[in-house]
Parts: sequence; C-alpha cells; structure tokens
Amino acid sequence: MNMKISAHKEAETHLLEAAKEFQKCMQCGKCRSVCPVFREMGNELYVARGKNKLAEKIVSGDLEITPRVEDAINECLNCKTCSANCPAGVSPEHVVLRLRWYITTQKGLHFFKALIFRQLLWRKWPITLGCAVVALFQRLLFGIGPKNPVRHLFPLFGFSKRRNFPQLALRSAQSRLPEVIPPTRGSTGKRIGYFTGCAGNLIYTNVVTSVVDILTGYGYEVVIPKKQKCNGTPVLANGDYEGAKRLMEHNFELFKEYDLDAIVVACSSCGLSLKKEIKVFIDDSPELAEFTGKVYDINEFILENVDVKPEDLGELDYRVTYHDPCHMARGQGVRQQPRELLQQIPGVDFTEMKNADTCCGSAGSYCITHYDTAIKINNHKIKDIRDAKVDMVATGCPTCVMHIADNLAQHESDEKVRFVVEILADSLRSAGRI
Amino acid sequence: MDKSVVDELVAIFGKENVLTAHEDMIAYSYDAAHVEIKPEVVVFATDTLQVSKLMKLAYREDIPVTPRGQGSGLSGGSVPLQQGIVLAMDRMKKVIDFDPANRLITVECGITTSDIDPIAAEAGLFYPPDPGSVAFSTIGGNIAENAGGLRGLKYGVTKDYVQMMKVVLPMGDIVTLGSKCVKHVAGFNTEAIFVGSEGLLGIMTEVTLSLLPIPQHRESALAIFDSLDNAAQTVSDIIAAGVTPSTMEFMDNETINAIQNFKDCGLPRDAQAVLLIETDGEEASAKGEIAKVKEVVEANRATDFAIAKNTEERDNLFAGRRVALNALASVRPNLILEDATVMRSRLPDMVRGIIDIAARHQVKVGIFGHAGDGNLHPTFLLDMKDAEEKARVDAAVKELFQLAIDLEGTISGEHGVGLEKKPYLMDQIGAPGIRLLQDIKRTLDPKNLLNPGKMFDMPATVSA
Repeated sequence: MNMKISAHKEAETHLLEAAKEFQKCMQCGKCRSVCPVFREMGNELYVARGKNKLAEKIVSGDLEITPRVEDAINECLNCKTCSANCPAGVSPEHVVLRLRWYITTQKGLHFFKALIFRQLLWRKWPITLGCAVVALFQRLLFGIGPKNPVRHLFPLFGFSKRRNFPQLALRSAQSRLPEVIPPTRGSTGKRIGYFTGCAGNLIYTNVVTSVVDILTGYGYEVVIPKKQKCNGTPVLANGDYEGAKRLMEHNFELFKEYDLDAIVVACSSCGLSLKKEIKVFIDDSPELAEFTGKVYDINEFILENVDVKPEDLGELDYRVTYHDPCHMARGQGVRQQPRELLQQIPGVDFTEMKNADTCCGSAGSYCITHYDTAIKINNHKIKDIRDAKVDMVATGCPTCVMHIADNLAQHESDEKVRFVVEILADSLRSAGRI
Repeated sequence: MDKSVVDELVAIFGKENVLTAHEDMIAYSYDAAHVEIKPEVVVFATDTLQVSKLMKLAYREDIPVTPRGQGSGLSGGSVPLQQGIVLAMDRMKKVIDFDPANRLITVECGITTSDIDPIAAEAGLFYPPDPGSVAFSTIGGNIAENAGGLRGLKYGVTKDYVQMMKVVLPMGDIVTLGSKCVKHVAGFNTEAIFVGSEGLLGIMTEVTLSLLPIPQHRESALAIFDSLDNAAQTVSDIIAAGVTPSTMEFMDNETINAIQNFKDCGLPRDAQAVLLIETDGEEASAKGEIAKVKEVVEANRATDFAIAKNTEERDNLFAGRRVALNALASVRPNLILEDATVMRSRLPDMVRGIIDIAARHQVKVGIFGHAGDGNLHPTFLLDMKDAEEKARVDAAVKELFQLAIDLEGTISGEHGVGLEKKPYLMDQIGAPGIRLLQDIKRTLDPKNLLNPGKMFDMPATVSA
C-alpha cells in the first residue's frame, strides 16, 4: 500500500541529477572488485555499473520501473566504496538515491514508511515514547539474551528470529540532560552544539554522557537543542526526498538559533548528513556554508581542539581494534583521528584489523530490510575481528555497533563493541579527570 | 529462447546460476567497450563439465555462446553480438594447486588476477603480468586477450606465463593442452593458440601459470623533460645502455596538465613529457641500473630527475601516473582509450603522429603508456552525445591505426580486436591473414557458435 506523497515536479530533477553521474561511467567494471553487495550476490545487476546502466535505461525511457529494478536499486549500502574506487569519479550511490527518490515520485511511498518518516520522526515524541515502552518490556519480560523465547515473536514485526537487539534506554538522553550544560572545569568560553542523533538519544545514551562529560570537563559549554529531530539519513535512504528535506531544514534553522562555535556529532551518518548531504536538500548560501563548516565528528573535534594531556589519561587494559564506519571514513575522511585517540590511551593495546574500512553490512535501515545479505556481508567483518585477537572493537557509528554486536553474539564471540569516545571517557574517568 | 532449452540449462547449471529476466539481460549486455547487445540467457558455470554440456547443447540447438569473465574488456569481446547465451565464468574462482617447488599455480579461470599474488607471495613468488584491470579482471579474460601491463618490457605478457590449460572446445570436448614441464614438445604448441583467442576457439576453465621470485629490491625514479624528443631518445638510450627497466611509463603534456587540474601531484605544467622508471632485482644490480639511467637521463638534458629514497617518496613519484586515467576521464564526459603499439624505436614518430592527427581532426588526446615496450594509450577525450565530435574522433582513431601499421606496429598491443578493432584487422594482416584465422576457427567451431562475429567475420558461404 503506497502513499502518494512526493511531488511530481521533482521527478525530472532526480533523473537529471542521476544522469550527471552515470554519464561519467566508463563501464570498466572496477566496482565489481569492491562492492560488498556484489560480493554476495554475484550478479552484475547489483553492482554499481549495473545500477548506472539501469538508470541510463530508465532515463532514456527504455526501461520501466519493474519490481526487479526496484530490488536492484534497493540493494545498495550507500557505503561509498565504489565511488571511492571509481577511476571515472562516478558516485553511484547518488545515482541510487536519485533513483529511489524518483521512484517515489512515480509510485509513492509505502504507507508504513510514510507513517514513520512523515509522522513519527517528525513529531518525535511517539518514537521516544515507543522506545521507552520497548525498553521497559526488554527489562521486565525478556532481556536481550540469545536464549530468550521472546525472539520467536520477532518475525511478527518483520525481524529475523536470530537477531540480537541492543538494550534501549528507559529515559532518553535528551530528557535526562538539561538543554544547556555548563563547563564543569575551567572555561574555554566556547559553546558547542551537540547533535545526539536518535541512536545516541534513545539507545547508546552512554555515548551522549561520554561526549558531554568530556566536553564540559574541558571547559566547553554544551547545548543539546531539545527540538532536534532525525538528521534525515534513513528517510533519504528510503526514497523520501521531501521528508528528508523537511527534517534537514528544521535542524538547520534550529541550530542557527543557538550562536554556536561548533556542532559535534558522535554518529557517522549524522555527521555526513550535516556536513555534506544537507547541501543536496538546501540551496547553497553563506549561512549553510557556515553551518556545515561548523560540524565536526566528535573524534575529529577532540583531537583537533580538546587539550587532552597524557597525565589526564588513566590506564585501560583493553585490547582494541578499530572498525571504520563508511560514513566516517569515506563519507567524511575521518580515519586517523579515532585511531590516534585510542593509541594515546595508556594500556590500550591497539591492533589494526584487516579490511578495517570494509562496510560491515549494517547500512542503517538496510539491515532491517535486507537482513540476510547484511549478515553475509558482516560475516567477513566478524572473521577479521576474530583474526585481530582483540577483546574490543571500537568504532563511531551506532548502526555498525548494533550490527557487529548482533553478529558477534550469533557467533558466540565475546568481543565488545563500543564507541571510541566511550573508551576515551573511561580512561579520563579512571584518572579522575572527568 | 525455447523454454525447453532454458529448462535444460537449469538442469545443467542449477536454478541460481541461470538468469533470464529482462533486467538481468541489460546487466550482461555490455562490457568496457561501447557496444550493447542483450543476451537471451546468462549462465554461471561452476565446473568444467557444465561448460562441456553447455557447448554440446549449443551445438545441438544452434545457439551462439559468448564467454565472459568480469566484463572489463575494452574491445567488446564479451558482448553477445548474436545474442544467445552469455557464459559467465566469474564463479569458477578456486585455486586448484599452488606448487612453489615448480613455481606454478593452477587456478580456475574465473579467479581475479590480483588474487593470485597474495597466495604466490607466501612463497616469495609473484605473477608478473599486471594489466590496468589486474584487480578486477579474470585470469581467463587476461589469457583470452593476452593481457599486458606495466612490466611488459622486462617481464613480457600473459602468453609468457601460460604453461598448461584445460579447454572446452566449441563442440564440447574437454582437452588439456601444454604441460607443467618447462620443456615440452609433444605435439603442436597448441596452448599458445588459445592465448589471445578472444573466446573464439574454446573456453578455458583451468590454467597453470608460471611464477617468478619477487625481486629483492626496487628502485624508482621520475624524469621530467621539456622536449618530447629528449624523452623518447632517453628511452632508446636506456635500453642501449644495457638496462632493462621493469617499468618505463610515459606521460605527455596534455596528460600532465589533466593530472595537475585533477590533483596536484607536483608535475610541472610546461613539461613536454615525464618518464617513470623502475629497475628491480638484487639490490646492487637495481641500484647499478638506476645509476646508469641517471647518466642517460642527464645526458638527454632532463629538466629534473628524482630517485625515490623510500616507499613514501616512491608513492609520491607515482601519484601522477596512478591518477592519469582518472584525471583524463574528468576532462570531458567520455573517453576512448586506445592501445596501438609500435617498436620502442618508433615511439617519437608515433607520439608526434598522434599529436598531428589530433590537431588535424581538432580532437583532444592525452597520451600516456608503457614506453619501454612501445605500447601507448592515446586517450581521446570527447562528449559522445556530440555526434559531430564523435565522428571526428572516429576518423582520428582510424588514422591512428593506419599510423601504427605504417610504423610497423600493431593496432592493438593489449586490449584485443573484438568488435572495436574488427574493421581494421584486415589492414594489418591482409586477406590471407584473415583467411588463416577463418580456417582455424572453422576447424574448431564449424558452426561458428562460440563468440561469433568477433575479430573477423566468417565468409558468408560457410553455413552449418
């Protein structure tokens, strides 16, 4: 059941923008050697140049949007591995996104997606409340253990029985913390906006605590605007251009009101969307350039701005490897900063795993809609993690954490998956610095 | 295609290895050349017997079969010109045997060529041919096109490393050709005819390749010239001095500027040519050779010469060459990458000739390539949507081929004839040459069902 919610006038723009990209394709086939989805599917239809070709045929009018076309277009992680390796400089993920948006203008959006993107995410409170209810049930009824019989009910909600969910937070981070948090030690006179992202707000609240403790502990005033909403990544990835645009415009206008020196994010996709993707949705202007220029990934911000002295850091007995989230490494070019932060910590035994920047297969909502393939892709990651002989995987993306932790549990592997900023906060806390 | 045939294909290959949907046919209708023809069925082979059964079926039912590796070929070799069945080999990618004692590796032909090296490296060995597509082309495709690469001057090309192969002949017979022995003269040198056969004579399913020890040491240098002739003379003089560089890459002024516009790689925009030169081997000999290179380069009045002191410096020297094709690709919407090749002594004539052709047809061309073996890549930059410009480029390309022939060279050094150069093959090998190819083809494939219409046409009188 689809809802007609997308404006037809945008249809042509989407096709034109897609064409700008796919026309550059030399069809050399290099994407075949790097695409994680193609590695599992083994069919040209699912590789970047195959999608470019489909787009070309749709634009030329030689191909209808058949279910198989939609299937191919939806088989993309937006991991940017193809564009990072493309000799012709094509960004096939933009072809894919434009096609998804175009398809929505023609076929509408499934009513369930429309409900989430246009109503629940926009109003926000139903999501917050819903998560609290689930969190309560998780605690009261079944926990999140692998043997819990409740997982037999997962298929009713469209989830795989073998899936392991993270523990949701009873109270969201944004409701627990005041909007403005003063520095706890010294003052830099700087005011930092914090875009927590939904996962930080509702699931990984310890990440929010860690970010706030570190920044306030080093003299920054932290502002967490209560009215912030989803950055739009799941919305734009699922074909809803206007829905994503509305969310982006909202956040852009909201953060402008606070007179901020910088905006930090501790989520790879939030960072990418606030730094770059927003430019696809909001017309270029000096205000927009100022806004995007202020956005930092938390690892980037700490390493470049926060004066963490060696004596501030307490010893941690962690054997750690680092997994590069796609939207941090290829999306924002943030690769070295988290590694440097980890390696500064005394006692941390850092091992670089193989293929650290290969997509883990999570890709946000992809691992809800395409769970089996997402797990196949992740199985390579699990092997590389195990080969690294560590007891902890550090990363910077909530959906990577969720997916890797899920599959590690399915492999009965004990490695923990955590955010770099949490590990850093552990160290600072153990030295009594924050 | 008849449902009964498709059912039979499913019985041979399994349901998951047979595609017939319209969308899938689009996905298998092209390779890296500029031709598109949709097959009727795509099948993925997983063993040799399946391929044999397929060919027997094709012969019984008169269905054309076009083999395909990763579809990265630049001459249209894997485009199914007469539709029928595309036989995708890229799921046959097992390593069958690694034999360091005899420096041999036996693999299925669908393996990606660069996947061989990590295995060989465990015993200190490597597989030398490194075409630009080495990370994403299959070894079967490399053999079918007799692929070259950057190291041709010192290490030769694919044909120099093929020892033995298992081939399914067009009518379905399975034969093993060649030998694992270094010396082997029992029968004709039949394996050689399949190297460069472009999928016309048989389908290679397994191959045994010879490997070499990884050179102990490597020296890399970059020489910059303000004159094309000096650069070309340097290439000849280096060889004359008894040095055999493992790599000797050339880039012209147009390419240099495209690179600098794309990404600052520290190349001077007014340079007329740069040479990237590598020597390898025992440390003392690699260093001795690069010292000789330095003498020759200086005698030829290079404006700058730098030897990399470490890996990082080496990476910097090669930064420009690595992005050359990307940089050229960003100049205009499309490019046509050619591979006409001459003897290295004719390199200056070739470069000047190409520049002259481009000027006369008012088309943009960047020239880079493998100077040591005379294999240049004149890269025409254009917008294919502009029919008038496309026509001018086509005319220029035609002249380029004639120039190569006039200079005793070849229309294709490493990409193959396929569809793209089919109209020009007669100019190079003449009517008797074409007749010989036709006779060989007819002997093995009397019904002309395996990759028909590539390289040359069969005479109309031949019918099944």
